[in-house]
Amino acid sequence: MSSFFNPELALDALTTLSLGLIVTVLLTIACGVTSLILGIFVALARMSRFWPLRLVVNGYVQLMRSTPLLIQLIYIYFALPFIGIKLDPFLAAYVGLSLHVSAYLAEVYRGGIEAVPKGQTDAAAALGMRPSVIMAKVVLPQAIRIVIPSLGNYMVSLFKDTSLAAVITVQELLFRGQIFAARTYDYFTIYTLVFAMYFAVGYPAIRLVMYVERRLKRGYAAKLPKKPADTRELVIGQEPK
Amino acid sequence: MIEVRAISKSFGDNKVLTDISMTIEDGEVVGIIGPSGSGKSTLLRSINFLEPPDTGDILINGELAYRDAARRELSKSNIALTRSRVGMVFQHFYLFPHMTVLENVCSGPRFVSKVAKTEYEERANALLDRVGLAEKRHQYPEQLSGGQQQRVAIARSLAMEPAAMLFDEPTSALDPELVGEVLSVMRKLVDDGMTMAIVTHEMGFVRQVADRVIFMDEGRIVEEGTPDEIFNNPQHERTRAFLSAILSHTERTEPAPEPHPTEVISSLPIVLP
Repeated sequence: MSSFFNPELALDALTTLSLGLIVTVLLTIACGVTSLILGIFVALARMSRFWPLRLVVNGYVQLMRSTPLLIQLIYIYFALPFIGIKLDPFLAAYVGLSLHVSAYLAEVYRGGIEAVPKGQTDAAAALGMRPSVIMAKVVLPQAIRIVIPSLGNYMVSLFKDTSLAAVITVQELLFRGQIFAARTYDYFTIYTLVFAMYFAVGYPAIRLVMYVERRLKRGYAAKLPKKPADTRELVIGQEPK
Repeated sequence: MIEVRAISKSFGDNKVLTDISMTIEDGEVVGIIGPSGSGKSTLLRSINFLEPPDTGDILINGELAYRDAARRELSKSNIALTRSRVGMVFQHFYLFPHMTVLENVCSGPRFVSKVAKTEYEERANALLDRVGLAEKRHQYPEQLSGGQQQRVAIARSLAMEPAAMLFDEPTSALDPELVGEVLSVMRKLVDDGMTMAIVTHEMGFVRQVADRVIFMDEGRIVEEGTPDEIFNNPQHERTRAFLSAILSHTERTEPAPEPHPTEVISSLPIVLP
């Protein structure tokens, strides 16, 4: 039994672990896209004027936030079949993670919506926009921009949390590592490799979030080219300054 | 024509508007003046229901726009429709920061009136030309000075082709040297015969352009009349006190041996396009 890193074994394991990483990334993308969208609707529902909806959605958010994700996944996969809801492992993980992350993102979105100055709503209302239009065209675009760095961090967390799906036998990176390690008894090599593979995806993702955050700080005009296309027209309208 | 009938409004125990009635005729320019906290802005915001009055009615062009909040007879879409017919300009501009200047000006017709794109863009470009900012159309509000932003905000309101315009201290947030460019745009509107209500501390401007001046204090209309009547011959003690306070403030800046630089700038004649 080797206690040091075994390159040959690592090479052997690479195929199955790569497949695991693909499952991990697919699960992250599926749950990420779902909860980025679902989170907005949960946030809006929590601010609804229709109180029964508010009550139900509030209950859901509090339930998700006050219990461990691991238990939620286990419950969906192992307990729900007893009341007739049988999901295969990937689907169970997808549902569990999405519900969990959506609840957190809803809070993030709500914070963003509340951070948009009241004057924006006033100005839009004064033009005659209806409340739904004000939300969709004026408030949400600004709110989402405010929360993009937070959303990015939650997406990185989601990527890491998909490893919990190993417990419900999803064939993702950690699960495949566990199987391989148990077969060869070389825990050091396999888990070092698993570690490195999470890092290889997670670190660039973190850097990307940091980059986006820096860029957003530069303001709305930053995405424009430095020279506006129609500088020629400057002659026509004279500035008083 | 805007008709305000006996509106009152309280924030908790604080009565901000008490039994206000007033009329703004078509093409009339009404200046609303008064000390801070006198309810001028709340009155203006009540007219398009941003601050729904507790009691009283508001009629626009003879149609009931908002009725007594207690009776709640008007639907949300009615309120939106009425707002679209009355433009409003705010102290802090409130341009939409995520839209370019052109998109800001287009936002009303685009999201409210369902006009064809070519039509509203043409209108928006014409309006930007009119406020002297055509060359800024692809920039974002954050790239503009306060005065430019306020001119865009005026164009944005005008894009809805409103029957009347409400100005809520449109120059109060501006550096002194930028006030003139906004006032000159407003003066053009006056010359075009726009119906306007202007809440402002720019007494000189009100004196020049207003057909009628309303002086408010503690949530009530204390006095109203022509600029000449209000400024030269105020009937009420409170009006006199307010005007003399403002006057003594402006006089003080002149004989001072070394005026502050900003006061020098604000007293310079501003050349406008």
